[in-house]
Amino acid sequence: MSMPQLAIEPWGNYSLALAASVECLHVRPWTHTCTTPEILKLGVEASPEFSCLSFKVTTGHFIKAAMEGVEYGVMVNSQGPCRLRYYRMLQQKLLKERGFNLFIFGLGYDGIKPPLIRHFNPTMNDFLRCCFRARLKVVTIDELETAAWTKRAVELRAGDTTRAMNACIKDLDQARTVPEIKAFRKTIPARFNQISVDVNRRPLKVALLGEATILRNSFLNQNLEEILGGLGVEVRNFFLLGEEMRNIFNIGTGSKYGWKAMRKLAKPYLGTPVGGHALASVAHTLRCAQDGYDGVIHVAPAGCMPEISVRPILRKISQDKDIPVFECSFDEHTSQVGLVTRLEAFVDVLYDRKTKKEL
Amino acid sequence: MFGKLKKASNGKLLEPRTIGIPRALLYYLYPGLWETFLKELGMQVTVSAPGTRKTIEQAGLISESEHCLPVKLFDAHLAELAGLVELIFVPRILSTLPGHIACPKLGALPDCARAQCPGGITIITVDINENRTPLTESMAQLGRLLNADETVIHQATERALSALRRARAVPTAPRKPDALNFLVIGHPYNLHDSYLSGPILQKIESLGVNAELVSFADRTALPEPVKWDTCSIMHDRLQRLVPSEWDGVIHLSSFNCGCDSIVSTLYQEVLREKEIPCMTLVLDEHAGQAGVDTRLEAFVDSIKDQHEHAATCH
Repeated sequence: MSMPQLAIEPWGNYSLALAASVECLHVRPWTHTCTTPEILKLGVEASPEFSCLSFKVTTGHFIKAAMEGVEYGVMVNSQGPCRLRYYRMLQQKLLKERGFNLFIFGLGYDGIKPPLIRHFNPTMNDFLRCCFRARLKVVTIDELETAAWTKRAVELRAGDTTRAMNACIKDLDQARTVPEIKAFRKTIPARFNQISVDVNRRPLKVALLGEATILRNSFLNQNLEEILGGLGVEVRNFFLLGEEMRNIFNIGTGSKYGWKAMRKLAKPYLGTPVGGHALASVAHTLRCAQDGYDGVIHVAPAGCMPEISVRPILRKISQDKDIPVFECSFDEHTSQVGLVTRLEAFVDVLYDRKTKKEL
Repeated sequence: MFGKLKKASNGKLLEPRTIGIPRALLYYLYPGLWETFLKELGMQVTVSAPGTRKTIEQAGLISESEHCLPVKLFDAHLAELAGLVELIFVPRILSTLPGHIACPKLGALPDCARAQCPGGITIITVDINENRTPLTESMAQLGRLLNADETVIHQATERALSALRRARAVPTAPRKPDALNFLVIGHPYNLHDSYLSGPILQKIESLGVNAELVSFADRTALPEPVKWDTCSIMHDRLQRLVPSEWDGVIHLSSFNCGCDSIVSTLYQEVLREKEIPCMTLVLDEHAGQAGVDTRLEAFVDSIKDQHEHAATCH
């Protein structure tokens, strides 16, 4: 009998790590590091009109998986006030209406042994080994992303960093064991140092923050990081899964990007977490102003309940702390041109400000 | 705490006399409550004027473009009050029903109001979370913020609560025989805003239909499967509908409403099982009434047609 397949929601490069974590369940992971236009179309057709892009795209993934005969799926649970709480229930209904037999497991907030683990029942040894391996992959991906952000802004030949990044991701996917991943990790600095850089260029520093799915999925955000890198901007994407996991599992929450510190920082502007990453958006914007970032780009799916509700606050922070905030909403339009023009204008303004400040 | 009143140089609290309530969201979620309560405390209460075409146009100009219609209208009502009053009351609504949560946009409302309002106006706020603190306790907190005596607060709370009960218990009009019976559902701030829902309700009536508005007086809804408070009350009501008594359901939603985007699928599922026809009308900034009228006429016609067809077949 062949192994059952398990569809994992798309999380950009982190999909690799998530795929590694379910190997212990003796299932074949079904996942993509990037969404395709076909998947998006399937999701948009099936989803309610005003639901957010994150919902539409995850629904599209599950439908595509079901069409390819995948039996199981896994989707995060949520206890917050955001719509994420209803995703799994609604997606299961939408799949059933279309006659698909894909069962979606929830993950999170359902006890120490969630239904997913209970169903596949891996041995403790296997489970821990896979978790450890997945965590290591997540941390490695964090490291790769961080390296790419700095290199892309100063690379001499356009596209070198992206090519290096793609090769690294491929190699990381091949690395199966902990020693292999560790060995790979050691080669990262050398591989990125091979990229020839312009030492005289002084890149702008811009923060990307907002909703996690859009921040991580380069198809949905229309390659925001690469466009900005090409314009000579060093980005800092504030959704790193390694950092996020510490907050989820309550480890080191007192650190600079821990939720306790964020809540304290955001308090004068926002007195409640709202849901999603809205509080983090407010806190990070304030932090970026302190840390001397040149600008902030707030990214959200169109109509995102938590992120949109804090936009007036971000505008106020922008005035109070003198930091430009660029608000950017994404929907199912796939043309990059409009975004590129707006980003070019924003980056021009930032360069102008920087030169004037230095004079 | 936010909104604590400033002290004068002699150490006494400056006593503000005027307080404003935006006629949006919180006003409709707790009809009659805040107005009565603040008046009983001895404040001079100004409620922003009922919405007009101008309010909606103003909302479109000043509000965040991706907000839902009710939040945009809230911003316009807030702007109207600025300059007229010393204080504006904007509670942080986290839950209006035990066991439930409110729409996340309502939680950030006082912070947004503070970010948007010009200087010189104090936004006064209390947390309303009926999961943790009863409404009376939140009201007492508000009273204390305004420096009122405990006895006055107690009396004001009693009167305000009875005003709330009266306002929520919408009398059900006697049903006309041989007419169609519709239930109209929607968030209280869509349903009871006369500018938004008025023309639609009049049109329904002119088509000879008995329309009953969903009541929010019943507070017994369960938090499953819908956790959002007002949505849960409506979902609960739909589940209890007796198909033979109702000919149709009209759902008044508003443009870009996040809650409705999810729960309208659930409403439709319930109604499909009960075989009650349902139509969703989305309220937005368009001024033309013709589109809505045509849809209502078509909906009523098709139901009448179905009834006649059923009668001739039997």
